[in-house]
Order: sequence, then C-alpha cells, then structure tokens
Amino acid sequence: MKNGCWSKRIVICALIGLLTAATTGCSSGEETAADDKPPGGRERSAAVRLEYWTPFSGGDNQFMTEMVNRFNRENPDIEVVQVNARLDDYYSRLRTAILSGNAPELAILHQTSLPQFVQNGYIEKLEEPARQVGLDWSGFNANILDSTVYDGEHYAVPLDTHTLVMYYNKSYLRAAGVLDGAERPIVGQGAADFEAFLGKLKAAVPADVAPMAQPSTRIDAVWLWWSLYNQMKGGGAFYNEDASEAVFDNPQALQALRFVHGLYKSRLIPPDINDAFKLFYDGKAAVLITGVWGTGAFEKAENLDFGVVSMPVLYDHPAVWGDSHTLAIPTKHTLTEEQKRAALTFMKWCAEHGAMWAEAGHVPSMTSVVKSEPFTSLNYRSEYAASANYVAYWPRHVRQWSIVEVLIQEFEKLNYGQQTPEQALANAVKRVGNELRK
Amino acid sequence: MKRIRALIWWFRNQELARKLIIINFILIVLPLCVMGYFAFSRFAATLEKKVGDYQLQTMKQLTLHLDTYMSELDRLTLMPYQYEPIIAFLESNREQGQPLTLEEIKQLNAFVSQVFLNGRIDIMGVSLFGERGASYVVLPESQYVTTYRLDENAGWLKNEQIRYGQSIFIPTHDIASTSGTVYPVFSVARELRSFDSGKKLGYIVIDVDPKVIHRILSQVTLGSRESLYLADRTGGTVVGKDGSAPLRDAASLPGEEEPEGVTHAMADGERLLVAHVTSPVTNWMTVGVVPVSELMKDTILIRNSIMLLGILCVGLAMMMCVFLAFRITQPLRGLIKLMRKVERGDLMVSFPVKQWDEIGHLGKAFNTMVSKLSELGYLLYETEIREKDAQIAALQSKINPHFLYNTLGSISMYAEVEGNREVVKMTNHLSRLLRYSLSGRKERVSLASELEHVKGYMAIQQMRYEDRIDFSLEHDEASLACAVIPLIIQPIVENAINHGIDKGTGNGMIRLACRIDQGALLIVVEDDGIGMTEEQLNEIRTRLRHAKDVGGRSGNGLLNVHRRIVLHFGESYGLTLASMPYRGLKVTMALPALTDKHYLEGGSQHA
Repeated sequence: MKNGCWSKRIVICALIGLLTAATTGCSSGEETAADDKPPGGRERSAAVRLEYWTPFSGGDNQFMTEMVNRFNRENPDIEVVQVNARLDDYYSRLRTAILSGNAPELAILHQTSLPQFVQNGYIEKLEEPARQVGLDWSGFNANILDSTVYDGEHYAVPLDTHTLVMYYNKSYLRAAGVLDGAERPIVGQGAADFEAFLGKLKAAVPADVAPMAQPSTRIDAVWLWWSLYNQMKGGGAFYNEDASEAVFDNPQALQALRFVHGLYKSRLIPPDINDAFKLFYDGKAAVLITGVWGTGAFEKAENLDFGVVSMPVLYDHPAVWGDSHTLAIPTKHTLTEEQKRAALTFMKWCAEHGAMWAEAGHVPSMTSVVKSEPFTSLNYRSEYAASANYVAYWPRHVRQWSIVEVLIQEFEKLNYGQQTPEQALANAVKRVGNELRK
Repeated sequence: MKRIRALIWWFRNQELARKLIIINFILIVLPLCVMGYFAFSRFAATLEKKVGDYQLQTMKQLTLHLDTYMSELDRLTLMPYQYEPIIAFLESNREQGQPLTLEEIKQLNAFVSQVFLNGRIDIMGVSLFGERGASYVVLPESQYVTTYRLDENAGWLKNEQIRYGQSIFIPTHDIASTSGTVYPVFSVARELRSFDSGKKLGYIVIDVDPKVIHRILSQVTLGSRESLYLADRTGGTVVGKDGSAPLRDAASLPGEEEPEGVTHAMADGERLLVAHVTSPVTNWMTVGVVPVSELMKDTILIRNSIMLLGILCVGLAMMMCVFLAFRITQPLRGLIKLMRKVERGDLMVSFPVKQWDEIGHLGKAFNTMVSKLSELGYLLYETEIREKDAQIAALQSKINPHFLYNTLGSISMYAEVEGNREVVKMTNHLSRLLRYSLSGRKERVSLASELEHVKGYMAIQQMRYEDRIDFSLEHDEASLACAVIPLIIQPIVENAINHGIDKGTGNGMIRLACRIDQGALLIVVEDDGIGMTEEQLNEIRTRLRHAKDVGGRSGNGLLNVHRRIVLHFGESYGLTLASMPYRGLKVTMALPALTDKHYLEGGSQHA
C-alpha cells in the first residue's frame, strides 16, 4: 500500500508537470502561429508585383483591365496592378514619377512621346530582358516596330496601331441616301465630295443631330488636319532637316487647315461640342472621325447601328494620323532584374494577345495576330486594319508632345473664331520655333 | 442517503485492486478536471478581452491611417477658394448646357488637373456645381459635362455639417462614365461660400476610388473569417475588405454617443466580436467584425491539447495505477489460491516470500502453518497405519476368531468332560487372549486389562514351555488405572520369550514391572536370556530413533511398539533398551501416566 501511495504521487506530479508544459508550450505556439500568417493573400505575396500605368479613356480601359486580369490569372507568379489616369494629366504624372524615383514598373507610352523618354535614359533598353523571355521582334509590323527603335536599340514593345477612322450612323446615312448597298458611306472623291456628303446629311438629320461630330477643343482637329495635310502631294513636312525650324506654314498645310476650319464654319461640325464621342455613342451624330478605340465601346452601345471605314482619302494619296501604344519600363534605381523580366513577360503576353486588345478597336502590332482567326473574326476591325500601313506618325522629336500641345491651343483659338487659319498656322510655327530654340 | 450507503456497501465489497483503482481514479481525475476547467475558463475570458482590446487598437490605428488620407481629400475641396476664376464660374448665371468659352474651358481644365495632380491618382472625378446653374463635371474616362445638375434630394445635402462649410464624406455609390462604364466611388463634398456676401456659391464634389481604402484595409488581418469595413452613420457601407459582409443588424452598432468600443453581436447563431471606431474626419465608423469562435480558435486548440494531454496523462496514470494495484494485490491473490489448494487438501504448497513487507510476513506465517499442518497430518496418518498394522497382524495370526472361539469352546468342553483341567485352563486362556486382541478396538485401555492379557498369554506360554519360564509381575496399585495403548506389552514379552527363553538354555525368567515414576508410567520387561552385544544394541537403538518405516512386514515387535508410543505421546516417550551379553535384555517402556477417565473414553472416539 505504501508503494502504491508513492507511485500515485509521482504520477500526479508528472501530470502537473506535463500540464504546465502543455499550457506554456501552447502559448508560445500561439505567437508563432500569428507570425507565419502574412497579411493579404498568401499566394500573391510571393509574386512579382508590377505597377502598370495607363492613360486609357473612351472605353478602351475596360479592355486593358480585362487583359490585366487574365494575365494575372494565367501568371500566378506575376501580379500586375493597373492604375489608369486621365490622358490630360498622364504624362505630367509620369514625368514627375520618373524624376522623383517613384516610377511604375510598366507604363504605356505613345509612340509620339517615346523620344522624350528615350532621352536621358528615362526608359530601359529592352534588348537583354527581351532575349531572356524569348520575345521575337520580327513578329511585329515593321512600320510600327521601327517607331520604337532608337539608335538600333529597342526601347518599347508596340502594343497596337491606332489611327483615325470614320464611324458613321447607318440610320442617318440611310435616311440621307448616302449609304450604298454594302452599307458603306458614299463619300465620293476629294474634299468637295466629302463636304457635299456632309451637306446631304445635314439636310437629312434632325436639328439636334450633328452631321459630323468633332470637339472644338483638344486634339481632334489637329489629328484631322495632320491626316489631310499628309494626304497631299508635297504635304506632311513639319520640321526642317535639322529640326531647328517648323516648316508647316505652307500652302498644303493651309489648305488642309482651311478645309477643317470650313467644316466648323459651315456648321457641318456644330460648335461647342465637348464630347463628340458621347454624341455619336448616344446617336446624336451621323459621322465621327476619331480613333479606332471607339469600335469596342460603340459595339456595346444599345440602339446604335454604326459602321466604320478607314479615313477617307480627300486628296492625293491615303494617309492618316496614327500613333501606337507601346509598353515601356520607366527607369528606377530600385528596379530588379526579376521585375524587368516579369515586365517583359507581360509585354510579350500583351502583344501575343493582341486580339484581345483589338476588341477595343485597335490594330494589333504583331502581323501574326492580324492574320489570326481571333482578329479576323472580329467585325469592323478588318475594315481599317490596312490603315496601319500608311500611318502618318508625328515626326520624332523629344518635345513632340508639347509641340502638338501648341498646335492644339492655336487650333482651339481658330475653332472659337479668335483667329484665321493663316494666323493659326503662323502663330503655331512661331511658337513651335520658340519651343525648338529653348 | 440510502443510495450513498448502498454505494459505500458496494465499494466495500469490491476487490482490493479495484478499490485501489477507483480511489486513484478519483484522486487523479477530479482535481485535474477542476483545475483544468478553472484554468481554461479564466484563460479564455482573459484572452477574449485582450483580443477585443487589440482589435479596438487596430481599428484606431486603421482609422488614424485613413484619416490622414481623408484629411488630404478634405483639403482638396478647399482648392476652389484659391482659384478666382472658379469662384467666378460658380457665381455665374447659366442656362443648362450653355457652352463654355475657350477661356473657361482652359481655366476649369487647369483647375481640375490641379485637383487630380495634387490629389492622388485615386481621384476619379471632380464636380463643380454653382448655385445659379453653373455645372462642370469630370467623370472617369469621359470629357467634362456641363449638363449635369446637382441632385437636390441627395442625402448629404441635408446634413447639418455642410451648412457650416465643413466637408462631408459620402459613402460609396456608383457613377457612370459617358461610355457607360460604372465605377463605385466615395465622395467628399463641400459647400462653397462667398466671403464677401456670406452666401452659398455652390458645391465641389470629389469622387475617389474606394480602392485606396480597400488597399489600406487589406493590410489589416483580424482573422480568416473577419469582416472589416467602413460604414457611415446610417449603416451604409463605404467600403469593405474583400469578402467582408457588413453586419446586417445595424442596430447592434452603438449610437453616436459612443465613438468607439467593443461590443458583441449575434449573426447566424454565431457570437461576433465587433470593434468600431468613429473617425472625427469622415464621421465614418471603422468596423471590424470577427466571430468569437475564430478568435478563440487558438484557445480551442489549447483546450483540445490540454484535454488530449490530460486524457493521455490520466490514461497513463490509470494504466500505472491498474498495474500497481494488481501488482500489489497479486501476492494476496496468490495466497488465496494457495489457501484454496490447502482447503482441498493439497498441503504440498509453499508461498514464495520475495519481500519482507506485510505480505511477506503473511506468506511466511502461511508457510509455517501449512508445514505444521502437513506434519500433523503425517503423524496422524502414521498412527492410524500402525494401528491398522497391529490389528492386521493380529488378524493374520488368528484368522477367524469365531471359529477359533468355537473350536476352543468345544475343546474346553471335551476337556471338561474328560476332566483334563490343564486343557480347559489353556483353552480358556487362549480364548480370552484372542478375544482381547481381536475384539478390542479401543484406542486406549487401562494398564490393568493390558496386564490381564499379558498374564493370560504368559499362562499359555508357561504351559507350552512346561514351566521353563518363570514369570513375575510387579505393579503399583496406582499404575493399574493408567491408560495405555492396547497390545504394547504382549509383543515385548513375546520378544523376551523369543530372545530370552528360546535362544537360551534351561529355565528362563521374565520379569514385568509397572510403576509410576515422576509422572511417567514405566513398564519394564526383563529376561535373563543371552542378551545382546553392544553393537546389536546400538543398531536396535538407532532403528528405534530413526526408522519410520511402518509398513515393514518383518516389523520388529520392539520397533513397532516404540513407534506407536512415539506417535501417540511424542518423542519423549518410547522404549529404552539395556542389555549385556548373557545377562539378558531389559526393555523399559515409558508412557505418560494418564489416569484420566475422560481421556480413556475420548481415546476411543478418536479412532
């Protein structure tokens, strides 16, 4: 009995010991359990995070968001975070971000503004990372690709070509009798015929419907002018050879500008239009000459029976204003090789999935994509896909973007009747000259 | 009471091992359970409180963090005061949809750009509404719109705060871009007033992408089933973290008088811990909801591990306990088994004593008892055999006593008729002799009857040996009453005749003397025969001392008698021999001088 008592005591002591050990063990275990749970999704924390700035508006943003989402789904080790901004503030923001070392890892750059980012190495050269992810440059449309090569180096991956195209509301055209059997507009040949075409529309459409919609402010009038100017024999010159002087104060430029101004003056383009896109979208315009990005949005508009053709040739040969969205990597000292590779992976993916982007209306940058079934099966796009071959890009100049701003301002004054076309061109050339001499 | 008594009764009757196990079980499990229960419940309560405090602190931090951002937005709404043209635009009288001049477009666009650039990238839209019809609305992905009117019924317009020129935060609502895309935004609005006139000029509304709050919220983790969101006073959700379902029961949130705190709510039968903090900037509540069970997950883990460990320990302890109980009581059970064997008569058992505890002592006592018992049994057994042997020997020598009696009777009658007195006498002696030795089944007889028998025997022998034998008998009167074992003297006398007379020549003398000496009855038989050499004497003495052979056919009369006496009365009694060559043999028989009548009778019962 004595032995039993002792062993019992030993057992109880052991039990108490075990119990305390267990409780302390558990409380320490609690702390470690709290530690190994990272905030946010566990999967995503391991992924390479890329901030991606875009300046999309007018409907194409939703297509890019879709692409980003799909890319993120397909590439769990890379997380692209898209941040969209107004185009009006976009470059100002981006410049500040690059200068302050807060640049995103990925940014959309217009081909026109590439020179200002190529200078001083504000964006990364892509040769090496492209080689690493196996991006084949030869797959791109040569015309588009050339616009991204500087001194033999690739600085950006072209995403698309977007040009001006002509959208038309079939109902109004039909009512005015300017729609042919194939439901294409009967525009005729030359500038006079085009004016007559709009004239017929003006007579046919209700008073609150614009025969042609074009805003009185912003860049649209400049695009139209640039397209027409380039269609003329001997037109299209912007700078002299060493880019020290603007040279667009010439008869052809004036003729083109006069034509554009004439449309406003004759009220074929009604005054004070702010949002021409929305007018056409809402069925309040018969014709709209704007970028291809309208296609995707207009397709979604209910009760809009529209068609699209490439920019009509009013003068000697086809030419149209165009630009490209390109993907570039802004320079940042914290940028890692891994991020660069991830960014290139995204660029390559976007170019290869150009058909998705084409849904917004753009013409894909890769020739294989343009020929591929997903693209050809889309309505409307093939109508203007060929435009990519005669795009009249802005000339390469580091300050081209701000120089175009000068044109916009002078043309706005023209549209608001504050000056004549002659004055507008002369002022523009003078101000551009000042810019160039800065 | 009855039941308790019954329980105690039941317990009392349990096996010792089972009793030990039950006692140990109660001693181990009861304190463990009580201790475990109290420790755990205290621990859980403290933990819940701590977690609640922690959650409140988290909410405070979060709110502070958000407020930094919100204050910035708040300051942005003050920007129109720094821009004269904007104030002028708001003051202007306008028709709906009246186009703007190029100048106005530039100024407004520059202002909005400033707002966008000075603010964060998350600003989605800016709206300016003048009191007299001026309207300038910038929506995401759209050009400015001048046709929009302020919704006079908007809830935030009725808020008192706005009257004092303070900004107001509007919970998440949808705005549609001109291309039809719908964006959820939350807004900050402010009434703008003229300093000079003191009159209301209009409103500025800045729409912000809730993603920014979302991003801040998603960096906070309360638990895997948390719900973290911002809500305004009316219970409308501003923005929630992914998968956060706001409390449906808004009433469970405390009123304005309590800007922060931790409460409990019930949802789907689950207890929720709700921590909320009201921001002084936005007047929004940051609410964190976590199911209590979620918070207590670790506690439950601890509880389960404690329980598991407890059960394990108790199990181990019980196993040890059972083992010990059986180990301790095992020798007892062995002893019981041995006792059963003894009960059944198997005395060839021995308890192995391995330790000198109580059980060891008990075992030793048991062993002693069993060995005593077996010895006693053996003695009894031998006694009875000797008795039987004697009787059988008598029987064998005198088969069919009745026939002999009758024959002897006839011989006696014939001798009587013939007048042969000698024959009659001899026959009668023989008859008596036979009767005594065969019919007497008594265990004890008196010395008197034994002497009678010897006398009869000697009478016959004297006739046989034609008076070559002299027989003398001396005895105390007192000794005659002594109890002796029957047929113990006659074999000695017979031995004396055989040794003393048959082997000797001429007359022989046999003396028989009985006396009581110091409580012992001494019966001495002497002859004057050839006697024995020292060696012969020693051999016989050794045999008397050691031989226990009872079944020997060639039983020496002396040995037989000696063993019977020893078996009956103990080692201190028996025969002693004295002899010298040619001087005869003297056999002294020592018996206890028992005269008790009762003993005489009791002896017969014993047989």
